[in-house]
Amino acid sequence: MARKRGGPSGTGRKQDKAIVCPLARAEELGIRQVIDQDGKLTGDLPEPDLDRETLIRLYEMMVLVRAIDERGWTLQRSGRVEFWIPHRGLEAVHNAATIAFTMEDWIFMGYRHPGTLLLRGAPLVQLFAQYFGRRDEPFKGRRLPTLMGDRRLNVVPMTTQVGSYIPHACGAAWAAKIKRHDTRFLAMFGDGSSSRGEFHSGMNFAGVFKPPIVFICENNGWAVSTPTDVQTASATFAEKGDAYGVRNLRVDGNDALAVYAVTREARELAPEIGASLIEAVTYRMGFHTSSDNPDLYRSKADVEAWEPWDPLVRLRKYLEHKGFWAEAEEEALWQRCKDEIQAAIEEAEAMPLPEPASMFDDTFAEPTWMLEEQRAALLDDLGGKA
Amino acid sequence: MPNLTVLESLNAAMAHELEHDPDVVLMGEDVGQAGGIFRTSQGLQQRFGSARVIDTPLDEKGIVAHAIGMALYGLKPIAEIQFSGFIHDAFEHIMFCAARYRWASGGQYSCPMVIRAPSFGGIKGGLWHSQSVEAYFVHHGGIKILVPSTPQDAYGMTIAAVRDPDPVLLVEPVPLYRALSAEVELDGQPIEIGKASVLRQGDDCTVLTYGPIRHWVAEVADELAAERGYQAEVIDLRSLIPYDIECILSSVRKTGRVVIVHEAPLSLGYGAELAAVIQDKAFGYLHTPIQRLAAPDVPYHFSIGDEYYRPSRDRIRAAIERTMEYEI
Repeated sequence: MARKRGGPSGTGRKQDKAIVCPLARAEELGIRQVIDQDGKLTGDLPEPDLDRETLIRLYEMMVLVRAIDERGWTLQRSGRVEFWIPHRGLEAVHNAATIAFTMEDWIFMGYRHPGTLLLRGAPLVQLFAQYFGRRDEPFKGRRLPTLMGDRRLNVVPMTTQVGSYIPHACGAAWAAKIKRHDTRFLAMFGDGSSSRGEFHSGMNFAGVFKPPIVFICENNGWAVSTPTDVQTASATFAEKGDAYGVRNLRVDGNDALAVYAVTREARELAPEIGASLIEAVTYRMGFHTSSDNPDLYRSKADVEAWEPWDPLVRLRKYLEHKGFWAEAEEEALWQRCKDEIQAAIEEAEAMPLPEPASMFDDTFAEPTWMLEEQRAALLDDLGGKA
Repeated sequence: MPNLTVLESLNAAMAHELEHDPDVVLMGEDVGQAGGIFRTSQGLQQRFGSARVIDTPLDEKGIVAHAIGMALYGLKPIAEIQFSGFIHDAFEHIMFCAARYRWASGGQYSCPMVIRAPSFGGIKGGLWHSQSVEAYFVHHGGIKILVPSTPQDAYGMTIAAVRDPDPVLLVEPVPLYRALSAEVELDGQPIEIGKASVLRQGDDCTVLTYGPIRHWVAEVADELAAERGYQAEVIDLRSLIPYDIECILSSVRKTGRVVIVHEAPLSLGYGAELAAVIQDKAFGYLHTPIQRLAAPDVPYHFSIGDEYYRPSRDRIRAAIERTMEYEI
């Protein structure tokens, strides 16, 4: 018997026939929007007050991020990057949310959010050095490609177990409140994370202690192969906030302007009300990771239903309506992105790998004698090759 | 010097740190208004306010995970787990988040925090209220493990734990909380992490132990010296990560016989690591096999566990005698 279709995405199962993108039913599903499929104002949320420069920067970053994904994929398939976590289709949420915060605010990013680092000033080569596991990237080559962050930019690296960092982010925001700092916090995680106990812990503490934080649950329809209706029987992810006394809402995750508007509002409200939980309804157009094969569990029709709602196209049309962008600029932008990426790849690939004995560094502030002994044993066995 | 119980010493140390460092906070179930179910933190919320001595929801994972976020931001949280038997829900956050943040961020972030784990049997607590969980946390670096068993150690180790730049698991001796008191120098000074205490000197046999039963071991050693003339050197390890290898080895080189006593289960317990290291570094000095006395690999029994699950005085005595009388 076919499962009843429902759940927070409204799309998903391979056997489904008529698949309608939930963004086409946004009003009915309570998904807030600024622009429609054609980049025209829907009249729902007010048009955010963003200047031309910011809008173009946002759009250009979304294009750069997509270009990174395309190139990252081919690097992995050609064996030059060990592992890749794609983010195609997810460009609006993290980039628009990032610009809703100041540089003093802290962001807990996920692994599909390269634009967060770039918008905060990380050079492109730093990202590729991380993808290649090079010594001189901030985390010294220790983490899987795409698991990034940078303290200098107030971007905390996620702990890899999805959702585990929800209470970390909440605790950090709570600490800022205790220290009477005006720092605000953003934590982004996926729909699958909402099933973990840490989501419960974070929301529950957030409801009680009211730290200044915005949680964005990026509902991209899939946790590896698991669709949202297997993840939860709740009609939405947002409404889970109700149980915890946490303000919540749904937004069109492929509408960068709407994401910006609701995130900015939640940030501004945070000192007064504490946390907000925003469910950004979007879609993972790509594989879960380079080790995945979505043909085993989802239909092409499902993906195709989302193609007309491409966040890049919608924002570009909006910019064109406003006279901020012309089609002729498009090709030049893409070429510039590809050139910058190529230069970053060449620079990063030439960088050295970490030395073997460096794996002992940073375990403690001061290494224990036990670690010193293990390090010496490794160096001895390597015969000076380290 | 005031005469304080272990409990009062823990309280005094936390009060000292709360008073002298505005970034220190204490959090956990019932630690605030009630002062903790053991009353370890009695009076602290009244003194330092509910923003710094925090009653949390009943959620061990949540307590530790939020403490991690606090530490990332610059606070120094003391997170109390009500009983160490409940700590496992927070295991992932202690070992794979707190103990890993420094390393995984290339040294950019750290998690200076204390996780207080009231531990050990002897209070008729049954399985979940009598556990010795320390060995689970020994397996990889990034976290230090301290086991105070005297009022002065409870005071100095708590201060050391709060001031340490890395996460510290404080394995507290529940059965000694009120059972033991002594004069405590309230000097606001941390003890040096990684140093063992020689409780009793002797040339015949080295007994390595930690936790509440270290008192039994010392008493039994005194009795055996008086009755049998066996002079055992009793060492309270006090710090499990890192541990005092110099103290251990200098004793073993002198005695050539080793008994290890702990009340956590035997298999892959802390004694297994000690035995392996000693045979590696002092094989030529050993006259007898290294003997371990530990709890069995079974759950802590409610009605007879305190007497038969923990190494008793009689079994400690028998273990030392077996080693002293061992013939190849």
